[in-house]
Amino acid sequence: MKWNSRIRCALVCLIFTGLFSVFSFRLVYLQMVKHDEYAGLAAEKHVYKQSIYAERGAILDANGEVLAHNVPGETIVADATHVNDAARLAPVLAETLGLPQNEVSEKLSGGRRYIVLKRQVPQATAVALREKLRTDNLRGVYFERDSTRVYPNGSMLCHVIGFTDFDHKGIQGIESSMEEYLHGQNGYRYVEHNRAGQEIVLYRGQERAPRDGYGVHLTVDLNLQNIVENEIDAAMREYRPQKATIILMRPQTGEILAMANRPNFDLKDRAEAKPEQMKNRAIIDMMEPGSTFKIVTAACALNEKKVRPDSVIFCENGLWNYGGRALHDHKPYGDMTVQDILIKSSNVGAAKLALSVGEQKFYEYIRRFGFGERTGIELPGEIPGVVHPPRAWSKISITRIPMGHEVGVTPLQMTLAMAAIANGGKLVTPRIVKSVTTADGQTVSTFTPTVLRQVISPETAQQIGSALRGVVSDRGTAAAAAVPGFTICGKTGTAQKVSPQGGYEHGKYVVSFSGYMPAERPEFVALVVLDDAKTKAELNYGGTVAAPIFSRIAEKAARYLDLEPHEELRKPLRATQVALTESARR
Amino acid sequence: MQRQRKQFNTINAASLARWIVITAFVAVTGLIYVYLTVQLYHLGDRKKELERQLVNVRAENDVAQVQIAALTSRSALQRRLKEGYLKMIPIAEQSIVRLNTPAEVSSENAIQPVVNQRAGR
Repeated sequence: MKWNSRIRCALVCLIFTGLFSVFSFRLVYLQMVKHDEYAGLAAEKHVYKQSIYAERGAILDANGEVLAHNVPGETIVADATHVNDAARLAPVLAETLGLPQNEVSEKLSGGRRYIVLKRQVPQATAVALREKLRTDNLRGVYFERDSTRVYPNGSMLCHVIGFTDFDHKGIQGIESSMEEYLHGQNGYRYVEHNRAGQEIVLYRGQERAPRDGYGVHLTVDLNLQNIVENEIDAAMREYRPQKATIILMRPQTGEILAMANRPNFDLKDRAEAKPEQMKNRAIIDMMEPGSTFKIVTAACALNEKKVRPDSVIFCENGLWNYGGRALHDHKPYGDMTVQDILIKSSNVGAAKLALSVGEQKFYEYIRRFGFGERTGIELPGEIPGVVHPPRAWSKISITRIPMGHEVGVTPLQMTLAMAAIANGGKLVTPRIVKSVTTADGQTVSTFTPTVLRQVISPETAQQIGSALRGVVSDRGTAAAAAVPGFTICGKTGTAQKVSPQGGYEHGKYVVSFSGYMPAERPEFVALVVLDDAKTKAELNYGGTVAAPIFSRIAEKAARYLDLEPHEELRKPLRATQVALTESARR
Repeated sequence: MQRQRKQFNTINAASLARWIVITAFVAVTGLIYVYLTVQLYHLGDRKKELERQLVNVRAENDVAQVQIAALTSRSALQRRLKEGYLKMIPIAEQSIVRLNTPAEVSSENAIQPVVNQRAGR
């Protein structure tokens, strides 16, 4: 075969064709088959997923006053692979952010791409750092939007509001229970950086906008809360109790209008707070309610038609031996009507009322009033209290439980029981969250009042109410709870304090008063509980310690709620005419 | 001898014009592409700057809101009241004009309530 020009030409063409075919195949392989792999590698080098943080929702009171809000700050992060001079960068960061230099150096030397240097850095500090980095031509440090949670009212309503951890996650109070609504949803954006570490906006990738957290509106009215806080502070100064709780609630809807506990803590300085100060005692503390529990006993007997309000019961002249144990009254009462048993707070009378209905029925009513189960309020850590079933009762339990011993209840449960009386026998679910709204005011969710059950008939509730009016009178145990111009229903309670070691603590009492006002159309129910008030032994009773606190709160609340006093009740009898030292003891 | 005719290379004006137009079009397109790309980069930077400004304005707004909330909080107002910066006068009962219907006292209110002397503390 002769190698003529045509053959040579064809050969060259063939070689080139083959060569370019190889190149083409390689190109197709790289561009199509291995596209994702290499694109990923390239993206890893330049693309960066930037988080866009959602702002936590605010907590507001019933009138829209801010209880918890955010102040903007920044989170300073670093990408060690973008740092151009770690030796110079570390001291700058340490100095501006107030961090130990060796800690910063260690973080930067790790080679990680996302290093959180400091969270919640104030805007001014972030601006100063940004300027320093620019002038010193230091790279690899980025600024992410962040915020700091602030509580403008300090210690007010601290147990209800709660607080968040460093990661903006609610860990107590509403901050915890409404976390789902408050926290929002972070967004993200894929961005590319140039060699200088600056974002190339043109090459922004996938993006998802953040959804800010919803605002949570509470049922609490800060004006009423302020009244309650001032009075509980005054009580703490006057009686120096170990613990104190005051709850104000609207009986028809179950809305908590105010809730205060002592000891408390400052939300602005929560790091210094002790665990004892952080407890919301209204829902996590258990107490023996004492005589306030007699409303349950009387309601049970009246509702079961075992007695009528004017039925006469012999109260054994103040001493009754039952089950081998003596049951005392504070005065030697003889024959008393059911109404008077409540007004005078006779233990023997209450025990006989419970006996008239029997253990099982009485237990059922206790449970129907909501004792022994969580109320379902939107606050974390609520306890159900302790109500033993009749099979666990001793022989004398049927005489002790009616006067509020041998049961453990929370202050909120006791308030709800009184609210059921004020509400015509309807037990409502307590609510502290009114609504949830978006940042622009659109309602996401509204928490409507829920009637749990009809505990007693409206007639029975009215009969109990009539008796409770007598309690706050010159004949009753809570004359000091009166407010001129208004009729008040209420019940005092004085229970010896239960010792953690078992038995009772000598000379220590839990005094309480629970009542509602005005009697005709109740606007609020209030409960005042003081644990171990330091006062003279002869004055350490619900009627003398807790009732006056209720009176002061009720008077101010009536003014605020614009409740009109009755002219004919404006000039009542003077309380000095009432033998407080005797009748107001129980 | 026949005079030799002078030979001219004719220029196809139409073709030339077409090529000039095509070249110019390609050049202009290229320039526009470069110009628009540069513009996009500039607009991107501008967008980022505006975003930053917007974030700053929002941040300032939030800071102002927090300051307002702090200054109008109950504790702050009470402190100012104690310090004498605020004056409050209680409204006397006789000065209040009520538009709502007064509540009626039912017959059950036979029990006369008492004055609580300690309430006026």
